[in-house]
Amino acid sequence: MKTQLNTNTSKTKVEKEPPLKGTLVSVLFLGFFLIFTWVSVYFLFLNRL
Amino acid sequence: MMNGTWKVDARDGKLAMAHIYVAFVALALGGLAGLLQVLVRSGKFELPAGISYYTILTTHGVLLGLVLTTFFIIGFQFAAVSRTAGTLSDRVRFWGWVGFWLMTIGTAITAFYILIGEASVLYTFYAPLQAHAGFYIGLTLVVVGSWISGFAMFAHYAKWKKAHPGQVSPLLTFMSVVNMVLWLICSLGVAATVLFQLIPWSLGYVDRINVLVSRTLFWYFGHPLVYFWLLPAYMIWYAIIPKIIGGKMFSDSLARMSFILFLIFSIPVGFHHQLVEPGIDPAWKYLQVVLTFMVVIPSLMTAFSMFATFEMYGRSKGATGLFGWLRKLPWGDARFFAPFIGMLFFIPAGAGGLVNASHQLNQVVHNTIWVTGHFHLTLATTVVLTFFGAAYWLIPHLTGRVMTKAMNRLAIIQTIVWSIGMIFMSSAMHFAGLLGAPRRSAFSTYGDAPQALEWVPYQIAQAVGGTILFIGIILVLIIVTNLAFFAPKGETEFPVAEVAEQAERTPLVFENWTLWIGIAVVLILIAYTVPFIDMIQNAPPGSKGFKLW
Ligand code: HEM
Ligand SMILES: [Cu+2]
Repeated sequence: MKTQLNTNTSKTKVEKEPPLKGTLVSVLFLGFFLIFTWVSVYFLFLNRL
Repeated sequence: MMNGTWKVDARDGKLAMAHIYVAFVALALGGLAGLLQVLVRSGKFELPAGISYYTILTTHGVLLGLVLTTFFIIGFQFAAVSRTAGTLSDRVRFWGWVGFWLMTIGTAITAFYILIGEASVLYTFYAPLQAHAGFYIGLTLVVVGSWISGFAMFAHYAKWKKAHPGQVSPLLTFMSVVNMVLWLICSLGVAATVLFQLIPWSLGYVDRINVLVSRTLFWYFGHPLVYFWLLPAYMIWYAIIPKIIGGKMFSDSLARMSFILFLIFSIPVGFHHQLVEPGIDPAWKYLQVVLTFMVVIPSLMTAFSMFATFEMYGRSKGATGLFGWLRKLPWGDARFFAPFIGMLFFIPAGAGGLVNASHQLNQVVHNTIWVTGHFHLTLATTVVLTFFGAAYWLIPHLTGRVMTKAMNRLAIIQTIVWSIGMIFMSSAMHFAGLLGAPRRSAFSTYGDAPQALEWVPYQIAQAVGGTILFIGIILVLIIVTNLAFFAPKGETEFPVAEVAEQAERTPLVFENWTLWIGIAVVLILIAYTVPFIDMIQNAPPGSKGFKLW
């Protein structure tokens, strides 16, 4: 099976990665929010045991 | 290149629009039912003429959860495959119409039995609640119709592949195919319970039903169902929004990979809806919860990809600082704004989902109105606002019109109204749920129990939010009617994004269907075979049917 073939843009790869600091901070914030919510309800669960 | 025709062929457009009309009629009627529900649950209003709350609630759930979604999705996908893989052949289009009419007739039959009060079994139609057989038969037609449309899309995809050997298929076509494969595999479960259990039982051919088996088959279908709703929204996020904002897709491979992961991990997980169900060994529940949490991976990949798309675009426009790129986004464009707000709502929605899926935390929220609050974020905001945002260009594209500035402004207002209404309604639902308020119940103070009295203020807030939401429904119906029938004639673009230059090439392995469907089937067999046999071999006596309304 062939694995590497054309795509919509067949241009050559540009070496430099785009600076995505805002994205990094955003997903970290998202992760913390998920954990925070989970832990909050977990403590509610513990309190009601 | 490879975007096929620029414009969806008029004949394909008609097929897509037919689906979209039904979807918005369902929104109108279902929205009205929703308004009645929040009013009843506020305790200040009673339904006239002895109409049952559960008749209204069944109408709402079926029309919005099943009809609006399925019709919009199939209509949108027909348009998307026609746009990206070329005009449908006459045969494919013919079968698309057959699917459409079967679904529409089925919907009419089901709606009829709900409205005459013979089928107030809610949209999940759990046994031992028993509806008139016509309810199940109508639903069967809806499912069969959707299968026919699914196969029509597969045929169209196969034709494209044949004409383009060795090439990667257009992204939107690929995604539509994944979604229909997902739908096909999962709806086998609901078809099995409807055909082999519910219909014979409701017709009186058999007296008793194995409740656990029917619920398990339902949830084998029910969880992937939510991904069937969500994936078209992701199509719009991944493959269309970047074009709308004037940017590029972050990565085509990442998008395909996340779709494949959804296909694999969203089916063998139905037990997370049955965590408190007796009769399923906890070890199997545990396994399915682990598989459920695998879905976090493609979800976070999607979040990352969206942030990255926006940041790359903003920076290309000269944005600086950590979040300067946010300011460069086209906030005044409803085609962007509505889906973007939908994305934001997916953050609390996803957080709530993690709570629901955790066995212990599920005991805090199970069958409370928290759950209703949760899926009014996921489905009734994230998905629905994304669909509205898509309708704002799709409908004029298909009807040869353009959206006016005034309508665009109204659509922005619509999004804001929806957000405000939903913040009130959904937050109230979440908090009341944490205090134990049940879902699927008309108003009651349970003999003035102190706990039940705590819920009342939240139920009032819920009614305020719900009323605002209903205004949102009226607004979107005005916009859609305008776009379909009254907007000025002209050409509207069907936006399809291109991939960023830095992105890796897309490998063909994503289209190795034998591999992916094979993995999905293996996981399903692992997750379900043993507990399913157990449910049949060690079943208690079956249940007679009940009509409790
Ligand atoms: C005016 C807007 C809306 C209002 C006021 C509203 C209100 C409600 C309420 C109060 C319930 C729960 C009632 C109960 O459990 O007793 C409910 C359930 C539900 N809603 Fe909505 N909703 C609205 C829009 C939507 C939309 C747009 C969708 C989907 C696209 C949707 C899908 C559902 C579903 C699937 C249920 C579950 C029904 C059940 O538990 O059987 N709703 N809605
Ligand atoms: Cu689920």
